[in-house]
Amino acid sequence: MKELIRSLVEATGPSGYETQVRELVQTSITGLADEVKVDALGNLIARKGKLKEGGKRVMLSAHMDEIGLIATFVDDNGFIRFTANGGVFPVYLLGSRVRFLNGVEGVIGAESNNLRDQAPAMDKCFIDVGAKDRLGCPVSVGDMAVFVRPYLDLGDRLVSKALDDRVGVAILVEALKQLQDTPNELYFVFSTQEEVGTRGAITAAYAVDPELGIALDVTKTGDTPKCDKMEVTLGKGPTVKVRDSGMLSDPRVVRWMRKTAEKAGIPYQLEVLEAGSTDARSIQVTRAGVPVGVISIPCRYVHSPSEMVDYQDVVNSVKLLVALLSERIVLEQQ
Amino acid sequence: MTDIKQFLNELLSLPGLSAYEGPAREHIASTWKPLVDEMQVSPIGSLHALKKGFGSEPRPRILLAAHMDAIGMMVTGVTDGFLSFTEIGGIDPRLLPGLRVTVHAKRNLPGIIVMPRDALLPERKSETPVEMKYLFIDLGLSAAETAELVQIGDLVSFAQEPMELPNGIITGHSLDNRASVAAVTACLEELHNVQHAWDVWAVATAQEEETLGGGFTAPFAIRPDLAVAIDVTFAKGPGASDWRTFPLGKGVSLGIGSNVHPGFFKAVKEVADKLDIPVHNELMPRGSGTDALAMQIVADGITTLVIGIPLRYMHTPVEMVAMKDIQRAGHLLASFIATLPVDFMQNLKWDD
Repeated sequence: MKELIRSLVEATGPSGYETQVRELVQTSITGLADEVKVDALGNLIARKGKLKEGGKRVMLSAHMDEIGLIATFVDDNGFIRFTANGGVFPVYLLGSRVRFLNGVEGVIGAESNNLRDQAPAMDKCFIDVGAKDRLGCPVSVGDMAVFVRPYLDLGDRLVSKALDDRVGVAILVEALKQLQDTPNELYFVFSTQEEVGTRGAITAAYAVDPELGIALDVTKTGDTPKCDKMEVTLGKGPTVKVRDSGMLSDPRVVRWMRKTAEKAGIPYQLEVLEAGSTDARSIQVTRAGVPVGVISIPCRYVHSPSEMVDYQDVVNSVKLLVALLSERIVLEQQ
Repeated sequence: MTDIKQFLNELLSLPGLSAYEGPAREHIASTWKPLVDEMQVSPIGSLHALKKGFGSEPRPRILLAAHMDAIGMMVTGVTDGFLSFTEIGGIDPRLLPGLRVTVHAKRNLPGIIVMPRDALLPERKSETPVEMKYLFIDLGLSAAETAELVQIGDLVSFAQEPMELPNGIITGHSLDNRASVAAVTACLEELHNVQHAWDVWAVATAQEEETLGGGFTAPFAIRPDLAVAIDVTFAKGPGASDWRTFPLGKGVSLGIGSNVHPGFFKAVKEVADKLDIPVHNELMPRGSGTDALAMQIVADGITTLVIGIPLRYMHTPVEMVAMKDIQRAGHLLASFIATLPVDFMQNLKWDD
């Protein structure tokens, strides 16, 4: 599974331009689904199974897009001004390298070249692709870029850009591989535009019309020196989300996930995330409403070019998902 | 005959935070049961109740939406027996220290919100209101007992009982928006023996404080021709006197703005004027911040209206409303529905 994660994180897929990632996913799920289609927003929707007695129509969602930058202006000397496409934090800009969709790479500099310990604002930064003037600059206004940083395998821990949410994508692909018989009709949605407002999931959920929705995404941790308090630790298992700043998980789904994990002996953590949300937010208010839950993969340094996850957490996320989907799903009332 | 004040008092004493509306929903359902023809619980927990009209089928439908979810808190951590927490809905942290709460753990636990000593705060925080992230809940239990009973994600409700003040003033938590649930109940009571033409869908919506969840989903299931959001609005009070505020106990507000259909507004205003129900025009220049914001853009679009019940000290445990305004909102809705002609939609003009 590490190879799959590596190929996914190395692909370029800023929000709205997920083609490279989609093609990779399409290749890796060949022959595994009963039906595969791509909708108008670029979501890849793969169905497995047909509704059987006591089964449910379930939508699973992991987003293919990653945060990135978009060129807003090229000056006479060939320097590129830019703005964020998704939640890019200025602290991670200076010194970063970026790659445009056309393959051009560059480095980010700032107006003051004497900064020591403060992060420049985004509009005081520029991208230098080595061009000598505007005409010679291979980047045009509107071109999209993502951060580049080599993938790092530290054994138990993996480091890369775009683990948010390619690790979720990899988990969905792996679960699709491992799932055998299921009474449920499962829609594996590899969604687009999550980082710009969980938008791909809006149309995918409308089309699928699920009775239950589950998002797979990364969450923050509270296990690094003097960080903000949060009771999630890398390596202690996937989390069952109770709440994030965009929604409240359905309490019946939370209980079902916890029971299933406990029965199968899969470690899990309870999650309350105070900044951020997932595709489940969009699925929940689709049509007449959908009970939703989220399995999160604990991740340090979210939205930096060096996000870190624990490989056992990834493996356990697959186990939990397979355990949840293999059986009849019963949601008990409060 | 439901005693609306008693019903409201009972409802205020029940938990029912966003996404966990169960206890409130059950009480509303049992009160509405004799007043409606059928009821369903939506996939996300809203209560949809239908009181059939007396016109011939297919009948036009009006949806009355009042959210039943309450604001509160959720446990984020347990350290040495003390609980840290975050908000559900929006809470002003200045009001929290000293409050009694109920932690809905393995069993309901009484607790108090406490502020750490200055010495435990960053220096610049010690003379300002203390942010929520530094506050904690003390249950009076040992660290071991607490760890055994409480988990991350457990809910925390305000524990103050509602209180009645002179002149029919009620104070307590969750009056936003259970005051409006009481108003819809008063409307159903009044319609009980009325031969109205339209189908009336009374909806106690879920998750308004977080996502307008019920507002987005109930109209999709019901597909009403008209939808009204009944919610609280700002009453005049200390430091609150500008154009956004309305006198307490002196009438309800009718919203004007992008979330409100001008023709619908005019029709309801005419009924209010005819019956001498005092109403104030509430300008909503950016959006109503109510379920109407969501309901208006569901499916192929819905004709919406907003009715406001003035309330002081919004999103605190000591919210305050006048029973009179609740009765007025209910009476206005019932009077409008009672006289609503079958061909209302055909004659509805965008403006004139």
